[in-house]
Amino acid sequence: MSLRNRLTLLVGGVVAITVALVTWTVSASARRAFETMDARRTAASIAQFRREVANEGDEVVRRVDRITASDAVRHIAIEFRPSSVDRDVNEAVPLANAQGLDFLDIVASDGTIVLSAHWPARFGYKHPWATALSSDRPGAFLQAVELPRETALGLMSVRTVTAGDRRIYVAGGRRLDQQFLQSLVLPEGMRALLYRNVEPEVSRLQLIDASANVAQAGPLEPLIARVRQSRAEAQETVVWPDGPETIDAMPLTGRDGAVLGVLLVGSSGRELAALIGRIRWTGVVLGGLGILFGVAASYGVAARVTRPVEQLAGAARAIASGDWTIPSPIQASGAGEIDALATAFDTMTRQLVDHRERLVQAERVAAWRELARRLAHELKNPLFPLRITIDNLRRAKTLPAEEFDEVFTESMTTLATGLANLNAVIGRFSDFARMPAPALEQVSPNEIVRRTVNLFQAQLDAPGRPAIAVALDLDPAPGTIRADPEQLGRVCQNLLLNAFDAMPAGGAVTIRTRRGEGVVRLEIADTGEGLTEEERRRIFTPYYTTKQHGTGLGLAIVQAVVADHAGKIWVESEPGRGTTFHIELPVSAPAAIAALAAPSMEHTS
Amino acid sequence: MWRFRSRLFAAASAIVCGCVIAAARPRYGGTLRIETHAVLRTLDPAATPLDVSDAAARTRLLPLVFETLVAPDPAGGLRPLLATSWERDAQGTRWRFQLRPDVRLHDGSRLDPAEVASTLRARVDSWQVSSADEAIVIASDRALPDLPWVLTDVRFAISMRRASGDVVGSGPFRVERLEAGRLSLRAHEDYWAGRPFVDAVQIDMGVVPPEQLSHLELGRVDLVAVNAPDVRRVSQRGLRLVESRPLELMALVFDVNRPTPVGEPIRRALALAIDRAAMCTILLQRHAQPAPALLPQWLSGYASLLAVPLDRAQARTMVGARPAAQRALTLRVDPSDSLAHAIAERIAVDAREAGLFIKVEAPDTLAPRPDVRLVRVRLDAKSPDLALARALAALGPRTTALVAPDAPPEPGASLADVYRYERALIEGNAIIPVVHLPEIYALGARVESWNGPLILATGAWDLAAVWLGADKP
Repeated sequence: MSLRNRLTLLVGGVVAITVALVTWTVSASARRAFETMDARRTAASIAQFRREVANEGDEVVRRVDRITASDAVRHIAIEFRPSSVDRDVNEAVPLANAQGLDFLDIVASDGTIVLSAHWPARFGYKHPWATALSSDRPGAFLQAVELPRETALGLMSVRTVTAGDRRIYVAGGRRLDQQFLQSLVLPEGMRALLYRNVEPEVSRLQLIDASANVAQAGPLEPLIARVRQSRAEAQETVVWPDGPETIDAMPLTGRDGAVLGVLLVGSSGRELAALIGRIRWTGVVLGGLGILFGVAASYGVAARVTRPVEQLAGAARAIASGDWTIPSPIQASGAGEIDALATAFDTMTRQLVDHRERLVQAERVAAWRELARRLAHELKNPLFPLRITIDNLRRAKTLPAEEFDEVFTESMTTLATGLANLNAVIGRFSDFARMPAPALEQVSPNEIVRRTVNLFQAQLDAPGRPAIAVALDLDPAPGTIRADPEQLGRVCQNLLLNAFDAMPAGGAVTIRTRRGEGVVRLEIADTGEGLTEEERRRIFTPYYTTKQHGTGLGLAIVQAVVADHAGKIWVESEPGRGTTFHIELPVSAPAAIAALAAPSMEHTS
Repeated sequence: MWRFRSRLFAAASAIVCGCVIAAARPRYGGTLRIETHAVLRTLDPAATPLDVSDAAARTRLLPLVFETLVAPDPAGGLRPLLATSWERDAQGTRWRFQLRPDVRLHDGSRLDPAEVASTLRARVDSWQVSSADEAIVIASDRALPDLPWVLTDVRFAISMRRASGDVVGSGPFRVERLEAGRLSLRAHEDYWAGRPFVDAVQIDMGVVPPEQLSHLELGRVDLVAVNAPDVRRVSQRGLRLVESRPLELMALVFDVNRPTPVGEPIRRALALAIDRAAMCTILLQRHAQPAPALLPQWLSGYASLLAVPLDRAQARTMVGARPAAQRALTLRVDPSDSLAHAIAERIAVDAREAGLFIKVEAPDTLAPRPDVRLVRVRLDAKSPDLALARALAALGPRTTALVAPDAPPEPGASLADVYRYERALIEGNAIIPVVHLPEIYALGARVESWNGPLILATGAWDLAAVWLGADKP
């Protein structure tokens, strides 16, 4: 990954993390604030419920007092006899209706129901609780009231009416039902539910809200059961399909401490969820914008920072790859570390180029000198006999014709031989200077190796010659490569000759082929004298040789052929430990090489 | 001076006595206004009642227009009506009824024995009815020991259809008009027992009891039926009440068509749990009697022998031994019968004390079969065998399927047979009698009766003896 991309990612990441942190912090703060507000609203709602219950209780007490003080009840108290039949079982109904009471029982001193407005048929039976109350309960209380078809929850009040030595009890009250819940004014998003604990098991039918029976009561049952059992307040969050809701449940107890009802105040979490959602979406949007801005900004900043660095890196790569012509990317402005780096790089590049040029020049000079020396050396040998021959001819001019003819013929022969030698020397130089383009065709590297070894087999088998073992370690499936078989054969021949020359006392030569990833590797290793470090560095230099004879062009030609095939050649050697030449050739010729290659020829064996 | 005072005193006394006498003397004229809940559909005595309401209306209204040969009397016997006397042969297969002479029908024609015979002949195919010498002879292949009692039924009231299509009778009133919800009658000027005091009777039918009571209190009507729980209210308003003997049975009838009918232990427990005495005393203001049997004591004479004592403890024990699913019952009542509803609620309270949970329902629309019904059964004030037969017919043929008594006793069966059969029903708790109710009527302020109460013990209306006094403040 480039420096620019890393910088961009880094800046973008920092922006994203920052935005995420801010979003989380804001969300958490909003949630805490909401929860605090929600707790206050719930407490206020519960307080309101308690107030309403107290007010309702006071109202019930007032109405029961009015009934108690009415003439009708006093008349009943005065006239009532247990054996008396002179009463209408429905007589309590108008009394209750007049005072807006849902329940009204008139009970004799022995607990027998005299009249009942909500259950007229129950006359004559014992009232379950009216006479059991102590006198120090002037207020209203919660009570489960039995009805013909259900048990209801009511706020009740009991008063006694005394007429002489007779006493009756008046127990009246009102239902705690939907109408009561409707009287509660709750904030938006809050609701109140009432569970009437009048059945042995939790029953969904007993859970009501201001509208009717609660449709989805199932998730609330565990909370209700917990409050019923523990008689303590509890809280639970219920997740509904349209959002969460926090439910606070408090028990409603009767006069004896029994849990007669459970008040549930629900606070919807939809608003909070919506707020959190909006915060998160805002965070996402801002984060996205921030990231985009950060990317853009960092890209621009990075560009200013990394472009010169990239240019420097590109220039360094180009120089490393051998391209010494790219100018320095940043003009030294004399400011900043990058500028200093650019200036230093530019200086270094110029110095390198300068040094290289000098080196190249020096090498060129050295090569020319070497070439001139070799040429002088090569030419001197065949030229010396030519000069002697010419001198002999000149001297022979004074000789008799017959002796002159003999000398002339002998001299011509010597001159021809010398000229042939000169032609050969010049031919070799010319060959090196004018290497033909390879004629590419699909060839088997193993086949070329075997053919080359066969060429030298007779020489190796010659008697009196030091024993040189040639081992072949060939890849059984090297495939084929696209190469000039002639040139490649010459490469193998030159390398084998060098190996043989390096083992004047005999030794071993190992030729190895291996198929690689898109390449074929050829190794020729000997157990000869080895090369020094300098020799190893200069061994591919034209006209450089360590032999007494030879043009010094063999390995240069090998290197040129390998280069023409877009391959690589290198040598590993240590003095006294032999030398290994490594050649790596591509399986398919690169396009540039193929374009320069001679038309492929059918290889004929 | 003394003489003047004595003469003055005498004159004042005479005036007062005259006023008193004038006040007690019946007066002719006026229209008696009556409201009923029952609705009369047809005036033809021979027609089959279309429904229970029609049957109830026919029982009370048709005798005002059409008379039978004989009628039940308050003492429990029979009194002559169009027949002055009757006799039978030893086998009871032949009866002779001597017709009252000079009876005029509403159209002024004379009561013709042949027409009487023709009317009766059309009622029952198996009778051989003939007329001779101002008498009717009824013969049958089989014995008819209670034929006079049979003839007291309104189906055997004597009516003649004239060519104009009118149906005429011999009753104290003739039909002026029968229209939707109202029957208008006119006094029969030539009624054999004497012209009625009132000129007309206007009967508004299909009025619910609470409205009837309100109209009575407002003075818009002179005679209405009253439920027992409303008696106190009527009395408090200074209105008079008349009532018959217990002529109606309120009973619990178990539905045998349910997949799982209520078992005998539960039925027995329910019978033990009902406090009939408290119901009659408090709820029905002593205008009802506990019903130990289907037939009231005054009709059968043996009802007290079949009484089931109140025993809630035993009832609780019996209920406790049953599975919980069997302890809940549904009790259905007629939604238009407020009295039945009140009684049903009380039964539910009594049952709850025994561990039974009864849900009282009064559906207006189709509803699933209940476990038990609270039904009203009118008891004809005739012989026990006829009354029982009519009651069982009204209850339905499968009512007794929960027990396996013998076939119901035929009309004419002995009292012992009737007792045995009813005992089997009561002991098997196939039917649980609850209370016997009289027919209670409240009278308007101006209603007076010359010859005894206008509502007889048998429930019959003696409107011919009613006269209307001045409206009292």
